[in-house]
Amino acid sequence: MWSKIFTMFRGAAHQAGEAVIDANALRILDQEIRDASTALRKSRDDLTTMMAQRKLTFDKLGPKQRKIAEYGGYIEQLLSKGDEALALEVAQKLSELEGDAAQDEQLLGQYDANIDSLKKSIIQAESSIGRLKQQVDAVKATENVQRAQAAIASRHSGSNTALRTATDSLERIKQKQAERSAKFDAAKQIENLGGDQDLKSRLASAGLLEDSSSASAVLARFKARPALAAPTQDAPRQLGSEASTPGTSA
Amino acid sequence: MSVQWNTASLHAALLASELNAEAKIDLIDSLDPSIDIRLTDFGDLPVQITVSGEQIMVSSALWEASQVKDRARFNEQALMLNPINALSNIGLIALAPGRDLYIMFGELSASSDLSHVIEEVRVLADNTIEAAEAFAEQLI
Repeated sequence: MWSKIFTMFRGAAHQAGEAVIDANALRILDQEIRDASTALRKSRDDLTTMMAQRKLTFDKLGPKQRKIAEYGGYIEQLLSKGDEALALEVAQKLSELEGDAAQDEQLLGQYDANIDSLKKSIIQAESSIGRLKQQVDAVKATENVQRAQAAIASRHSGSNTALRTATDSLERIKQKQAERSAKFDAAKQIENLGGDQDLKSRLASAGLLEDSSSASAVLARFKARPALAAPTQDAPRQLGSEASTPGTSA
Repeated sequence: MSVQWNTASLHAALLASELNAEAKIDLIDSLDPSIDIRLTDFGDLPVQITVSGEQIMVSSALWEASQVKDRARFNEQALMLNPINALSNIGLIALAPGRDLYIMFGELSASSDLSHVIEEVRVLADNTIEAAEAFAEQLI
């Protein structure tokens, strides 16, 4: 089977249409299945015939064996009566019967051997048909994959653009990972910032951290420098006169 | 206990499964329908499932043969990879006359448990992305 398909590969490579391979493979498999099932049918017929013949032989053997026992009895009786002449006549008949029975027994042995080998070949044929059918499934599955891929190729990138699905997806994964790590970094920065502020505000509320920009802190700073107290009192005025300057100069 | 899947029944079962949360699952209906799965965590990698008789085939497209710099070298490495690659193989199919496509594929019995089919899909996607990473330098 494999060698047939390989021969076909070589043949198909010369033709342009490589999809021909599947059609050819299916044809070969179809033929193999037909051959195997013909053989199987023949083996089954042979088996039926063989078993019928065996039964006929076996059925004939029983009466013959009974007759052999019967004639044996007669000979014993005749001998005990001293009638050797008649005993000899019966003995001749008996020897024919015994020969006949031996032949039947030999025949039965042959039938049994044939029946055994037919049963084996039936099992073999059945399993090889099963295997061939699995191969048909595999070829059909591959055909379906080809069709599905061809459909994707025409749907997504136009029939002339090469399909590079795996590498495209890899790119998307890398991009996603980059985005994710950028987002993660940003989140981490925000988190650090937030964490810091949270800590500061908690320290402040615990009275451990002075907020340098708070009004009370500014006031405390000025209170600590009494020498600058007077100029600060003038400051509003100076500011006020400065504010009027643009008006006068205009 | 085990059901023999066909494409439609497998599609319905996948839609109702946990895979639906991590992928977009479509039935591509035609004479021989197939299931198209786009896995979010794998860069929307398309994975195809087809059921034929007693066989389920799960596959994804790698790249076209025309994109491989040195095909003999790539083929040899793919063959070396196949025996050690769990559940998936690299194969080659004809997309159209003169257009060969490398695929990653795995096969299961059509009477496999749904969980095995889902595992095959995930492993296949993982292997496909691994292959894309490993073979990147060999592609045009």
